[in-house]
Amino acid sequence: MNLITENLCFKPEHEYYLNDISLEFKAGNLYTLLGRTLSGKTSFLKTIAGLQPVDSGQITFAGKDFNSIPVWKRNVAMVYQQFINYPHLTVFDNIAFPLKQRKMKFSDIQNEVSSAIKKVGLQGFEKRKIQELSGGQQQRVALARSLAKKAKILLLDEPLVNLDYKLREDLRNEFKNIFSGDLSSQSILIYASTDPLEAMQLNGNIIVIDEGKILQHDSAKEVFENPSNVRVAEITNEPAMNIVNGSIESKKIILNKDVQIDLPDKLKTIKPGKYFFGLRASDIVLDDSGFQFVVDLAEISGSETILHLHQDNLKFVSLINEVKNFNNRDKVMLKIMSENLYVFNEKGNLIFSPFKNK
Amino acid sequence: MNFKHKFAFLFPGLFVLIGILIFPIGFMIRLSLSSWDTFYPGLDFIGIENYVRLFTDDSRFWESFFRLSFLSVTTVSLQYIIGFSLALMVWRDIIFKRFFRVLFLIPMMTTPVIMTVIWRTFFHESLGPVNDILSIFGIAPPWLTNEHLAKVTIIIVEVWQWTPFMFLLLLAGLLSLPKEPFLAASVDGAGPIRKFIYVTFPLMAPISIGAIIIRLIEASKIMDTVYVLTSGGPGTSTETSSYYIFVKGLREFQFGYSAALSFTYLIIMIISLTIISKLLVKLLIKK
Repeated sequence: MNLITENLCFKPEHEYYLNDISLEFKAGNLYTLLGRTLSGKTSFLKTIAGLQPVDSGQITFAGKDFNSIPVWKRNVAMVYQQFINYPHLTVFDNIAFPLKQRKMKFSDIQNEVSSAIKKVGLQGFEKRKIQELSGGQQQRVALARSLAKKAKILLLDEPLVNLDYKLREDLRNEFKNIFSGDLSSQSILIYASTDPLEAMQLNGNIIVIDEGKILQHDSAKEVFENPSNVRVAEITNEPAMNIVNGSIESKKIILNKDVQIDLPDKLKTIKPGKYFFGLRASDIVLDDSGFQFVVDLAEISGSETILHLHQDNLKFVSLINEVKNFNNRDKVMLKIMSENLYVFNEKGNLIFSPFKNK
Repeated sequence: MNFKHKFAFLFPGLFVLIGILIFPIGFMIRLSLSSWDTFYPGLDFIGIENYVRLFTDDSRFWESFFRLSFLSVTTVSLQYIIGFSLALMVWRDIIFKRFFRVLFLIPMMTTPVIMTVIWRTFFHESLGPVNDILSIFGIAPPWLTNEHLAKVTIIIVEVWQWTPFMFLLLLAGLLSLPKEPFLAASVDGAGPIRKFIYVTFPLMAPISIGAIIIRLIEASKIMDTVYVLTSGGPGTSTETSSYYIFVKGLREFQFGYSAALSFTYLIIMIISLTIISKLLVKLLIKK
């Protein structure tokens, strides 16, 4: 029961929505489609659901040509970024809708619906109208509808993005519980997200997409440790990985005329020349023995502080593991953890990862 | 602002309300209690004599009332069905969408009386183009002189004239519907027909009820079409209530009696339209 897409292309105007996408999804697996907004995530999900045409390419599911099957016969469930429900129906009828389309027996429908309602924790709300629910509850109804359907392919298009922080955490955990149940062994779950943290937490296969093109397709661990190129490194880190243009010359890494680091032993095999260096925000730490930088902006986020810094033409974002007050234009001393540097060649492809060569 | 003068600003509106609504109704009620006609023009008082006559000795009024009910319910149902179909058609992406939208509105923009005169010419038994065409098949129905066919003719003209109104309201309703439920419904396994039954139609119910009630109110005043097409004939077979009241009041000049007819008709209309709208709400909007 594998879903295979081959060379999917869709270019409605000047830009590619989907650019030659070939992927294989195996039943029983969770796939996270990670990409920035407008990267083609929704287009891809809509194409699988049948809501959007393609210019060329093939979709096959369980050996059958999926392109020729109309939307309503595809047995796909989808949860959207906006809370999409049927405003004229009650919670019960909303969840029962796909089952009624299949002309199931009413007693079976009742069982399925009440078990789905239990899974998303909406007991007691069966008779409410959709407008009487909060945003989070509405999204749970949509989720319950997709669960009750027991579809072979479940598409989740940033389902948590419009919810408040606490609810997002709760529902994400619920996702894991729900999908570790009976559903997971037979279904393909594709979860689109812009949030690298979320993608890592879901811990499935990560597909990194950008400008309609697949950049990398690997396990969460692999994508985190070995991003295949500069763009992937940016997309899969929050804050985005610092990518700096520099060079290796006479056993030094030269980022600009002041910031020059001794070449760590691990990197000695790399030939002198021009490279892109990648450095996670958390690998730039406050240290009096380091280089002097100027603070452009300091943001406090939870228990961390995010610093936007510059020194001459060099710009960095640093993540400090404590809450500290900085003023703009403050001068701070920073140390660059050179042993955690990623090295990309001039085309932007990874040639050295601190994890691979450990 | 000074409390005393506040209400002075209400007077223009109140004056118009009294002038055009309350006074005429009051005067009509008073008139219905008199025997004002051509022989004795004057506001005498004869009690409820006119009403007694209406309820005991005027089967022609009741016949015209039931005929009116039949005509208005039939025409409005047809208008709703045809109007909804047309609205659904141009709601989808078809070519020349804008052209069709305007085209479907043309009948409503024409003057009803003039159009009815043209329709009368169309349906003329020996001179009309309708029978010219039908004569190819060897038939020439008496459109305006057969008591059943005359009703059909009135229905055709009314439907032609007022379907655009229904179309306009329903199209506006369709365009205001959210797109998302339709997206969800197709993913949830509903084909085009089921999508209409389970999503489009229920979402359109409130607008449908509004449109139907407005058209029912309008249709229960059918007068000009009847007047021009058949003058209530043949015999009294296409006479509607409003036409009958017109005949009594402005042909036979029985002002007192026609006022009683009008008032009775008004009360019946208020009651029946209230019941109909309640029924529609119950029928179309569950719970």
